[in-house]
Amino acid sequence: MRLANHRLLDALCGEYLLGTLRGAARRRFEVCLRAEPLVAQRLRHWEATIMPRYSERIEVPPPRHVWRRLERDLELSKYRLAWHQRVGTWKALAAIASAALIVVVLVAVESLPGSAPSLVEIAQLSDKEGGTHVSAQLSRDGRILALKANRPVLAGPNQSYELWLIPSAGAAPVSVAVLGSLDASLPLTPERSAQLRPGVTLAISTEPAGGSPTGQPTGAVILVGRVRT
Amino acid sequence: MLDDKEIKGLLLRTAARDEGSAQAFERLYRMCAPLLLGVARRIVIRQELAEEVLQDSFTRIWAAAERFDPVADRPVAWMVAIARNRAIDMRASHDVARVQMYANDAFADSEGALEQFFDWSQGSEVVEDQRRVGAWLRECLSRLQGVERQSLVLAYVQGLSHSELAAHLSKPLGTVKSWLRRGMANLRECVETCMGANR
Repeated sequence: MRLANHRLLDALCGEYLLGTLRGAARRRFEVCLRAEPLVAQRLRHWEATIMPRYSERIEVPPPRHVWRRLERDLELSKYRLAWHQRVGTWKALAAIASAALIVVVLVAVESLPGSAPSLVEIAQLSDKEGGTHVSAQLSRDGRILALKANRPVLAGPNQSYELWLIPSAGAAPVSVAVLGSLDASLPLTPERSAQLRPGVTLAISTEPAGGSPTGQPTGAVILVGRVRT
Repeated sequence: MLDDKEIKGLLLRTAARDEGSAQAFERLYRMCAPLLLGVARRIVIRQELAEEVLQDSFTRIWAAAERFDPVADRPVAWMVAIARNRAIDMRASHDVARVQMYANDAFADSEGALEQFFDWSQGSEVVEDQRRVGAWLRECLSRLQGVERQSLVLAYVQGLSHSELAAHLSKPLGTVKSWLRRGMANLRECVETCMGANR
């Protein structure tokens, strides 16, 4: 179909940009868009005329795993300079030396008894906007609670985060830990571990550096989630 | 604020498929993924679906970068369109409407939504022409009839189909379609008139 001089060209450009042109009609339009330069030109005009810019307020930071999957699925390593081509030789040697050190440290950490326990997610904590999520994961032996944020979030210089456990609706929150970052690995006492039953709520508040001065949340509660399993 | 010129450079570098392509693509992702995920979230509502949309969109951007029109000056809009179309398809196949959580609150008034979701600040457009068009567009949107403006905002931001809009607004399908068509045409004519009058 020649669309360039069609009387519906403008209506179709509008519907395409709006998103109400669907299914086969949209695919046909996209074929014309590639084949007919005048159609592409008209769409560009529409785009420049009536498309506002989205505000940064709607942005949502993506979790790390999306990029990792893209990198793997698209085999992006083929399109990268090898690391040793990017750094000078002496830098490469220094990199090898530090890599060796990291290996030693990792081996040391891995060999500690009880480290790297297998974790089970028990709750997802999220904010109102849904921009930040923290997965709360409990080790199978119940001795470690790990928090993993979908993006790195560090407390400011005069601020700490505090994790609270709310046993039931209306009950006073119990402090679990004061945190400098939303990624953390926390040892639990058997009593605390036993309190993490389905139905209790976990919450994270911002507090003055060092944690709440009163033993109860004093700052804004930024993340909330209910323990599921 | 995403810089169209830099994004365009990254897209062209991605399309080159050489040893710098992955690095350019990664930077493109770091810069634009939050926006695309935000756009997708408004449409599919659920985080896991939005993440799938994000991944599919960048897979498509990687593949389609070589077809990106080098004379187009709104590469961000091109990427957003890819994500929106994918999100709209995903929404249709997952019956998202029933789990829509914040939709109604956010759209109680379309004026609020326009202010919330779009950037009308004069500093946001690098190019003078785009800055002026942005101001005219805002003015022309406010001159539209309320129902036209509301339908356009709902369709654009939330990816509602004609029939979803009709159900949402409790109006016959034909009425909603003509609001959209007329709204788009009026908007374009209004902006074009401003362009002509200020030439």
